[in-house]
Amino acid sequence: MPEDSAKSTPGKGLLQGLGVTLKTMLKPAHTEQYPDVQPKLPPRTRGVIALQEENCTSCMLCARECPDWCIYIDSHKETVEVPGAARPRQKNVLDRFAIDFSLCMYCGICIEVCPFDALYWSPEFEYAEHDIRNLLHEKDHLGQWMATVPPPPAHDPNGEPAKEQTAAEKKR
Amino acid sequence: MVLNIGPQHPSTHGVLRLKLTVDGERVTACEPIIGYMHRGAEKLFEVRDYRQILVLANRHDWLSAFANELGVALAVERLMGIEVPERATWLRTGMAELNRVLNHLMFLGSYPLEIGAITPVFYAFREREKLQAVMEEAAGGRMHFMFNRVGGIKEEVPAGWTRRALETIAEVRAGMKDIAQLIRHNDIFLARTKGIGVLTAEAAAGYGASGPVARASGLDFDLRRDEPYLAYGELDVPVVTRTAGDCHARFECLLEQVYVSLDLAEQCLSKVDTLTGPVNTRLPKVVKAPEGHTYAWTESPLGVNGYYLVSRGEKTPWRLKLRTASYANVQALSTLLPGCLIADLVAILGSMFFVVGDIDK
Repeated sequence: MPEDSAKSTPGKGLLQGLGVTLKTMLKPAHTEQYPDVQPKLPPRTRGVIALQEENCTSCMLCARECPDWCIYIDSHKETVEVPGAARPRQKNVLDRFAIDFSLCMYCGICIEVCPFDALYWSPEFEYAEHDIRNLLHEKDHLGQWMATVPPPPAHDPNGEPAKEQTAAEKKR
Repeated sequence: MVLNIGPQHPSTHGVLRLKLTVDGERVTACEPIIGYMHRGAEKLFEVRDYRQILVLANRHDWLSAFANELGVALAVERLMGIEVPERATWLRTGMAELNRVLNHLMFLGSYPLEIGAITPVFYAFREREKLQAVMEEAAGGRMHFMFNRVGGIKEEVPAGWTRRALETIAEVRAGMKDIAQLIRHNDIFLARTKGIGVLTAEAAAGYGASGPVARASGLDFDLRRDEPYLAYGELDVPVVTRTAGDCHARFECLLEQVYVSLDLAEQCLSKVDTLTGPVNTRLPKVVKAPEGHTYAWTESPLGVNGYYLVSRGEKTPWRLKLRTASYANVQALSTLLPGCLIADLVAILGSMFFVVGDIDK
């Protein structure tokens, strides 16, 4: 790279800079027309956490592993009589599942530890609120995000396939 | 007269307070007062398991999240004796370099901004945006990547990611030319930075300064070359140094390191394409580091980051001490500022390239 060559003539550096500005002026702008045009976000984007309620067994793993304990779970046990079974079964029923997005650090540990795939990332991000208390999303609200969850991207063929893919192939 | 700069001051990138003693326009003494952003990270580490620590470690220097995660992961892996798969190592190295570019671009934009040149920040952020998109595609985050795990990285990168990343690297390299042309030889910029805030190599070494700040003073020290970790041992890492030690030298170091990092990232990602295999290791359900202690240090974008991990065999560390680059670098301000004019203060402050979260932890 040329060292101190521009120092010789005063004003040369300034003109060089203005040259860049001129060049950029003649090129199309980089502006994203955000509210009118939605940004294209990759499927892995950590925007909001969606809950597939049917998959949740209220095992509390996510709530325990959360680094700032922003997941609240309440559940009770119900006895289910299964016809033909010797004994009635116990089943966990989820009463409350809430994530406080004003505390959430968006690390994704809850999604990683969930053994039954009840939690998913969605790239959706437009859920700002006027009142911070409204950032506490209850299970209905978390369930609504499920519709926005994109399919995961295919893995690099050089690497190992995704867990889901290997599991699906085993079943076949 | 005693003059307080900060804690709320736009050029401090956070809340750093400088207690200056001034004689007219000249600074006679300077005492950096830190701690306004202390979040007790080290104490929190003691009550978090190793995966949760990555989330927190990520955030002390919010501009080099990947490098921070990496340090913790390396320390834990060393203590547990985990061998990281080759593919993961090369991916980590490549992404660490991309993170370095992201960090440097931030300062390349904000530093001219602080001394009155508004335009470069738009060019720097234009390039940053492209790289952030690349990182987001793989990791899901634009700043706090959370992509490292003990034993490797979180998951395999999406198909075609390395190709897109390599294309972006080429684009950013072309865009860097604009930033360099825009400001590097600008007469006003030179007048504001040449010969201002000279840090001698002795002072830099004495304060434990590292990274681009120390290398601009002629301190030829880079852990990537001198004590290689990750895949750096197999790479030829050119170390960018200057001897002037002034604000302009620090800026130039940063600028040239971007080119070096882009080249390194390119080599790493090309290498990744030739490797197959897993990117993480199977871990026990509860990750416990065996009793013992280790010190891992890495060349973070802003300088040397050290992680002293003491474990008593629990699933949380007994102590995890952070040695952060910014903390050592701002200490040098107390010798750098006395004698300078108030008008040069912001130029010097900005050229020390620190993140307050990294100082206060």
